[in-house]
Amino acid sequence: MREVGFRGGGFAPRNLPFAGALTLVLVVASWQIAASLGWISTRFLPAPLAIIQALVGLAQSGELRLHLAASLSRLAWGWAAGTAAGLMVGFALGLFSLARTPGLAIVSALFPVPKIALVPLFIVWFGIGEGSKLVTLGFGVFFPTVINTLAGVDGVSRSLIRMGQSFGLSRTAILTKIVLPGALPAILAGFRITTATAIILLVAAEMIGAEYGIGAFVLSAGNLYDTDALLAGITVLSLLGLSISWAISRLERWLLAWR
Amino acid sequence: MTLRRRALLAALAATPFAGPARAAAPIRLGVLRTVSPAPFYIAHSRGFFAAQGVEVEFKFFQAAQPIAAAAVAGDIDVGVTALTGGFFALAGKGELQVIGGGLHETKGFELTAVLASRQAYDAGLTTLDKLPGHSFGITQFGSSFHYMLGQLAAAKKFDIKSVTLRPLQQVPNMVAAVRSGQVDATMAIASMARPLEAAGEAKIIGWVGDYVPYQITALFATAPMIATRADDLQKFCRAYQAGVAAYRAAFLRFDAAGKPLYDAATDAAITDITKYVYTGDPAAASKIKAGIGWYDLGGALDVADVKAQLAWFAAEGLVKGPIDPDGIIDTRFLPTR
Repeated sequence: MREVGFRGGGFAPRNLPFAGALTLVLVVASWQIAASLGWISTRFLPAPLAIIQALVGLAQSGELRLHLAASLSRLAWGWAAGTAAGLMVGFALGLFSLARTPGLAIVSALFPVPKIALVPLFIVWFGIGEGSKLVTLGFGVFFPTVINTLAGVDGVSRSLIRMGQSFGLSRTAILTKIVLPGALPAILAGFRITTATAIILLVAAEMIGAEYGIGAFVLSAGNLYDTDALLAGITVLSLLGLSISWAISRLERWLLAWR
Repeated sequence: MTLRRRALLAALAATPFAGPARAAAPIRLGVLRTVSPAPFYIAHSRGFFAAQGVEVEFKFFQAAQPIAAAAVAGDIDVGVTALTGGFFALAGKGELQVIGGGLHETKGFELTAVLASRQAYDAGLTTLDKLPGHSFGITQFGSSFHYMLGQLAAAKKFDIKSVTLRPLQQVPNMVAAVRSGQVDATMAIASMARPLEAAGEAKIIGWVGDYVPYQITALFATAPMIATRADDLQKFCRAYQAGVAAYRAAFLRFDAAGKPLYDAATDAAITDITKYVYTGDPAAASKIKAGIGWYDLGGALDVADVKAQLAWFAAEGLVKGPIDPDGIIDTRFLPTR
């Protein structure tokens, strides 16, 4: 007879917040060291210190504030509009048979359309002002939100809903007390994707007619082959993504405390 | 063994010997698919390059900026392009050298028009000095359009900062924006601007060349090309000069009243040019004539103008870091103005 050891455990990854930060710091530090030692040519790939200098220069001249303010307001409005519409449609598809199949067909048909390809049309329809920029962002955010919301609603345990019904809960109560909390983890996971999508689309949205904005700044720096400024802009976009992701983590911890 | 596979093997076996058998690698020339590099088309079509013993391969681009980038990446050896902010940034890193002159904006040649939208024109934007306070469509900050507007501002004594610049990335976007009135004004070449005005969709309020004499395009070569194939480059430049001579004979002769003289030489040159642009277009002749501009004798480089352009881009903060103008100009290959 062979003794069988304990085979449980594992498959339970924990979050190690310091490891994440440490990895980023290590990558940047080794990049800087390699550049300082001349292992990496800095002619077309500026070293981290040069990028930081460019960032500081942008911040001191007040340019960074102008670009950030323009982009943040576009991100906020575009994302909020796309998310609000996406949540409504997503819940409708998840709850009503009549909406479900036709709506899903439309969503599936339009989701894969590259939003950048639509920018010229948006310009004709909504002008080169803020309108076309918000629509580009909102459109990009809308579809993933619909799909995540629908998946969330579908994933709510039917037995919980049946239980609520047998306890005599009203339809509204079932929606707010069972369906919404049950779908929330999937919706919040969707927020991670849609906020990143919005940041990615920022460059496309600010391609046309934008005087200020991080996306417009990155494009212009690329055109001028100002590599320090280009990577400084990209760093700002990346930091923006990191901070939004952190904010969503906090939101998850607060909203999903019941788990 | 199938025939196809045998052919493939034969091709593979032949490849190592194909290289040294050829005299020299062709010189890859990056140009915009427009009329502006016409002397190169003529030189190629009439065999001037072959007569000098160099083979030239045209690489066509949609915009000026990628030409310089492609040269840095090693995809082309020489190029003809507008000297944009991006070009100076790349040249300043020692990758590119300006070696000769190209097309010039000069008084009398109506090459680039300033267009006002109908709404803006009706509201009073009828002359260039009224541009302050209006929006203006350009491709990008640091583009040749941005530079030309800067020079117009200097000539008309207004501050370029009083004009709201709208970067629209592409020329078709600029034209669409002025047609729909989303920008008050923009610039367009004659062959685009005239039909718009004829259709009543925009108004031409001035021609850049009338106020801003300017070397629009220049010939540049990559640093490795100059370092390793200077002899070939000399031959290339001699053929280019022959092309310029043919171009001037075809298009740049004028009567007493200043009207261009067109004759059989003109028609022959147009036939040459249509092998490269407007191929098969019934209106090719008139479109080519609309794109004709000044070329200096011998493809001379206007060194002072290159320096003035660099100084403007640097002053506007569009080119960073001190760039020594003498370090990006090589005058050993072609004459200077």
